[in-house]
Amino acid sequence: MRHVLKSIGAFATLAIVGGGISQVAAHHSAAMFDFSKSQTLKGKIVEMRWVNPHVTITVTGSPSADEAPADWLIETTSPGNLVRAGGWRRDAVKPGDEVEVTFHPEREAGKKSGLLMELKAVSSGEVFTANIRDQEKPGLE
Amino acid sequence: MEFAEPFPDHSFLRRMRVKSGPIGIASVALFALVLAPSIAVAQAPQKAPAVINPPPTAQDWADIAKLPDWSGVWNPKISDQDAQVKTNPPPWNEAAAKKIQQMFAEEKAGRPTLIFANCLPEAHPSWMLVTHNAMEILFTPGRVTMLGESDGNRIRRIYTDGRGHPETSDPTFHGHSIGHWEGDTLVVDTTDIVPEAPLAVSEAAGLPNNGDMHVIERIHLADKDILHDDLEIVAPNILTKPWKTTRIFFRQRARKFDIVEGVCATGDLVERVNAEGDHVFVPVQKSEWGHTTAVPAK
Repeated sequence: MRHVLKSIGAFATLAIVGGGISQVAAHHSAAMFDFSKSQTLKGKIVEMRWVNPHVTITVTGSPSADEAPADWLIETTSPGNLVRAGGWRRDAVKPGDEVEVTFHPEREAGKKSGLLMELKAVSSGEVFTANIRDQEKPGLE
Repeated sequence: MEFAEPFPDHSFLRRMRVKSGPIGIASVALFALVLAPSIAVAQAPQKAPAVINPPPTAQDWADIAKLPDWSGVWNPKISDQDAQVKTNPPPWNEAAAKKIQQMFAEEKAGRPTLIFANCLPEAHPSWMLVTHNAMEILFTPGRVTMLGESDGNRIRRIYTDGRGHPETSDPTFHGHSIGHWEGDTLVVDTTDIVPEAPLAVSEAAGLPNNGDMHVIERIHLADKDILHDDLEIVAPNILTKPWKTTRIFFRQRARKFDIVEGVCATGDLVERVNAEGDHVFVPVQKSEWGHTTAVPAK
């Protein structure tokens, strides 16, 4: 069914014809994440990719004491939207910074990835939100 | 006398047009009947006269100052986009409605259909309908230009110089847009949009327009810092009747919100330094739904 649906959209068809299912940068839905759940992960920044259309942040850490530390890949919105969402900059976090990230996990169990809700820089206590819908008013400063 | 085509621009024939009197007319007629056809065969086909866009005048620039102030950075009201998915759905035809319902079901199941893959533009009117990114709007004589944030190819050129749509269709993602001002409202008429361009209500629900789409917009300030785009979308191959919707944008002026260059393709890539010490982009892994699943280690 899924492939039938994808063939409906000519753009989606291109994605399939054009070499499988990987590497198709896109403005995509976040429906692969479970919005009914949230998790918090304490760890250190490995890398932030400050790219359109979706910034990703790799954090190495563990969401619970009984889980071994690992790299988690946290996706979020675009750089421009993060700047407007509140306080974000390209250098808001740097490799090695201690952070707490709260996110919606992937629906598929076992995946070490999620959709960012907010990031807290441990050293400064600064909190960076990823919710662009909270900033829907003119004249922000 | 006047010559009809095929000699509209032939200079010596033009000169003959000014001749008058019976001899002049007779000689021109003789030439036309006997000689001109052979010359015409020998000549390259004549092109239509070039249409020249005149340089703007000081008055044209002064007139720009009389237009409403749309400067600054305009952001979409995404929560209203979200709400209209349910409150103001397009009048899909039966086949389209079935496909859209399947897409909603897939999205609900965590398998969102990838409507905007390969960094292709959202296209018109879906950019206005579902974007999550900012835009800016520039006025110059004879033109209104919309520049989107998410990629360099998010650009709309709206001609306000009085021209019509082209006689020969040359479809593009954002179509051919002509506009005029009715008071402080910019009225835009857009045709010639590629049939593959989706009419989307979200990032996971939309269908190719399948051709003949026509969009009429009335864009105006609804408040000091609120811009409304009132759209009427005619898409006869997927809708049962024209669909009307208003999309809301709000303005920012703080310099830190200035739009910076966005390159969608970098979403597939990560910056690395290779063995030779060169700074290069290398691919990341993506899922079939478009999100990043793995980034190669440094």
